[in-house]
Formats: sequence, C-alpha cells, structure tokens
Amino acid sequence: MKKAVWEQPGSLAEAFWKNGIADIPIYDMHGHMGSHNAIYFARCEAPEMVAHMRRIGVRRLVFSHHYSLMGSFRNKRVHAITARFPDILRMYVSISPHQTDFIAEDLDQYDSMAPLAIGFKFLPDYHKVKVTDPRYEPVLNFASERRLPILVHTWGGSPYDGPDVMLEVATRYPQVTFFMAHSFSGDLPGAKRVADACPNVYFELTSLPGQHTIIERLCADIGSHRLLFGTDMPWFDEYQHVGGILSADISEDDKHNILYRNVEKLLGKDW
Amino acid sequence: MKDIAFFDAQCAIGAPILGNARGGETAAGLLAEMERNGVDKALVAHANTEAAGAIFANENLLELIQADDVDNRLTGVWTILPAQCGELPPPDEFFARMAANRVGALNLFPVAHRWQACRLTIGRLMDAAAERRIPVFLGQRIMDGGWRGVFDFLREFPAATVIINGVSLWGPDRNIRPLLENFPGCHVELSEYWVPEGIADLARLYGAERLLYGSGYPRFGHGSTMLSIRHSGLPLEQVRQIASQNLERLLAQAQLA
Repeated sequence: MKKAVWEQPGSLAEAFWKNGIADIPIYDMHGHMGSHNAIYFARCEAPEMVAHMRRIGVRRLVFSHHYSLMGSFRNKRVHAITARFPDILRMYVSISPHQTDFIAEDLDQYDSMAPLAIGFKFLPDYHKVKVTDPRYEPVLNFASERRLPILVHTWGGSPYDGPDVMLEVATRYPQVTFFMAHSFSGDLPGAKRVADACPNVYFELTSLPGQHTIIERLCADIGSHRLLFGTDMPWFDEYQHVGGILSADISEDDKHNILYRNVEKLLGKDW
Repeated sequence: MKDIAFFDAQCAIGAPILGNARGGETAAGLLAEMERNGVDKALVAHANTEAAGAIFANENLLELIQADDVDNRLTGVWTILPAQCGELPPPDEFFARMAANRVGALNLFPVAHRWQACRLTIGRLMDAAAERRIPVFLGQRIMDGGWRGVFDFLREFPAATVIINGVSLWGPDRNIRPLLENFPGCHVELSEYWVPEGIADLARLYGAERLLYGSGYPRFGHGSTMLSIRHSGLPLEQVRQIASQNLERLLAQAQLA
C-alpha cells in the first residue's frame, strides 16, 4: 500500500494519528452544554467536556447552553459555568426571539458577561422565527455597533435560516461577522451564493467533517479561508470531526486554516 | 498505521438511482479511497439495492467487485427476500453461492422491497443463518417503524448474529444500549456513532468485541472514524479488535458451506 494520509511525514494528520494531539491549537466555534430531550449525552457538563477537549488540544470551545436555547436557563448562569474554565470555555449569549424580555436583559448585562461572552447564538430552525423577524433586530444592532460575531444555525432549504434569509440579513448588517453554523447543510450552491455576496460571513462546519467530499467541495467553492471548525460538542466527538478535516483530500494549508488560522485572524490569539 | 489494520464493515458501491455516488460507482473508486486512508479491507454492499432490488443488486455487486478487486480486499454483502416467492434459492444453496462468490454477510430492506421482516417470511433462512452464525446487517433506517422494527426483529430472532448499522448521528445510545445488553449476537458498526468518548464507554459496558469499524462510504469518508477509534482511549489491543479483528472473526466463524 502507498503511504496513507496518516503517514505523510510532517503532516498534521501524522501528528494527530501518532500522538492524538498536535502542535497547533484547535478552536471549536460551535458547542453546547447540558442534557438534551432526544439524545443521551454521557458527557454534557463542563468538566467532562473539558477533559475530552484537552485530550486533542482544543484551545477554545465557544458554546451556547442547551437549556438557554431550549428553555429558560439564563445566560448569566451560563457565564458562571464558563468562568469555572476560563482557560478553555467561551460562550455565546443564547437568543430566543420568543423571550424579548430576556433579550433586553441580556443586552443590558452583556458587558458583565464579556470577555467570556464573545457574541450571540441564534437557533431559528428550532424557534421557528425567521432571522429577518424584528425580534432579532435589537441583537443585530447591538452586534453591529460592537462588531460582535453571531453564530446562526443555518440549513439548506430552511425558511428561517436558509441562504435567501441569511443573504438578506448579512447584507443588511455588514458590520456583523456571521458564523453560518453547519454551512447551510445540504445546500452548497446556496452557501456559495452567500459567500460570494457577503464578505462578513464565515462558514462553520459542525456535522460536515466525515461526510465524504463535502470539505473538499467547500474548500474548492468557498475557500478554506472562510471555514471554521466546530463540533456541536457534546454532540460529536472531537477526534471524529478533526479526523474528517485531516483525512479530507485538501491541502495542508487548508487544514491549518480550518482548525485555527481563520479564527486567529478574526479574533486574535488572546481572547 | 501499520500497527493497526482496518477492515471496513460499512461500505457500498454502485450507481444510486438518484446519482451522487461521490466516486463510489465502482469498486475502483472505493479501493482508491481505502488506499488513501490506509484501510486494508472492506465488507461491501450495493449502493442501489433499495431502488434496483435484491436480484439486480446481488448480481451487479459481484460484477463490480470482480472488475476491480484484483487483490481480493473486498467481501460482498447480499440481500435477502421472503422465501415464499422463490426469488432466491433455498438457504443451503444460497449460502453455498455466497461462499463461492466471496460474499460474507446478509442485509435486508423490507420497507423498500415491500415485505414483512418476520418469522413467517424469512424464519427458515434466519434460523439457518443464526445456526451458521452468518452476520446480518440491520438498521433503523431500513426497518418498518425504525428502531421499533429493529427491536421486534431481534426479539423474533434472538440468536442471530447481527450488525446494527446506520445508527444515526443523533446520539443513539438509548436504542443501541438495550440491544447490546439483551442480545449477545448483536454488534454495532461505528460509522455514525460520533458520541464523545462513546466508543470507550460502549467497550467498557458491553465489550470491545461487540464494536466494528465502519466508514459509511460513500456517504461518509474513511478517515474520521479511524481517528476516533485510534484515539478512543482504549488499550491498543481493543483498538485493533474494533478496527479489524472483530469483523475478521465474525466472517471467519460464519459457516457458509
């Protein structure tokens, strides 16, 4: 047999294969925390998640708590959890358009949650509210004024957060850096359309690494300089997702871009 | 790499009716990806069995494998049908044909092929397969009622040697753990089992010998699950079991002829 991707001398794949860790940081830009209605998570609390991430060298996980996205758990409590692991955890302030009083309070309190809070998380497909709905506007305006990132769950064909909706929003708010969670899963042409029109948009990869040829096509059509690594932790194993990047038929530079370089260009190394 | 051999339990080749084979139309495409990732062998089904049917898929799979697999790295999976229509030979003859054609396991698509997966339809064949320890793939995606269909099937054929596949990316522990706990012949292939530290948890609870490396090609690539098994945190001996030895054992113990 020829040398496999894991045996290429000096490559990231070789390092991770041999040691389980490499001399690079990994920035996981899409995480959660807490139990889930439909899934048993054995490791969904901070200590167990952090232990898993340390094994592979995750430098930062930015997460939004399931209970804040799906329930009424307040972001201040998420901040308290984040503060227990300040060397690795950062948070998105979870936004539910159905809780406008919570939104007002969260924006008032944002400064007390920063710098551990780095931006916001929208989950439109679950809340069934289009991102163009006026209830999101206070957050979009706040993020625009402060040039904060917003991680938006996106999905191909969605009337709430599909390419057409996000194209409109990203164009309207050019000062906001949008992280398109799941990169409009299933709609690569739609993702490319948004990428071409909106330089303020980055594409987050949760659930895509491991899918055969998807990473290759995203790199070819959008460019690895626009892609961000994420896992939905505690949904998906870090090794599984990193393995999907490392084994993709893309360049070594592409892999470096996805796992850490793009985030460091956006947010720096010290955040 | 060389200290761990990989035998992929979950692959498919052939042209799907809706296209999008992602290079998996031929065995050559699969073998090239195996080469690139360092996978030694694969157990391979036909990618278009649901639409084209068992008769075409079983024959075409052999043609595809024989066209490109010069080193005998691929072992086939054949699809079963109810006995009453006589579309497949009786069990002894069917199993002998499997042995003669390097086919090592069975699968079924009762919803797509419109039959009831139960003792009335395949009792004789399943009893013979269980006695001969021939592995049968079973998954929530292809059974009537999803997981309920898988549970019903195993209640009806509790002695079967089964490989649960396509477990779904939404953490499936609430379904696969009861199956592993209650059916000793039940195994799980891991192509869609992406649970953090989950491989080690399952190995500790039910034994590493119950878990099989699978890529899920061509929907999934080979490398991601290779790395998650390699760094599952299990001892190297158990990693090797999951990577290839368990599937080697299952195929070797099957008495086809």
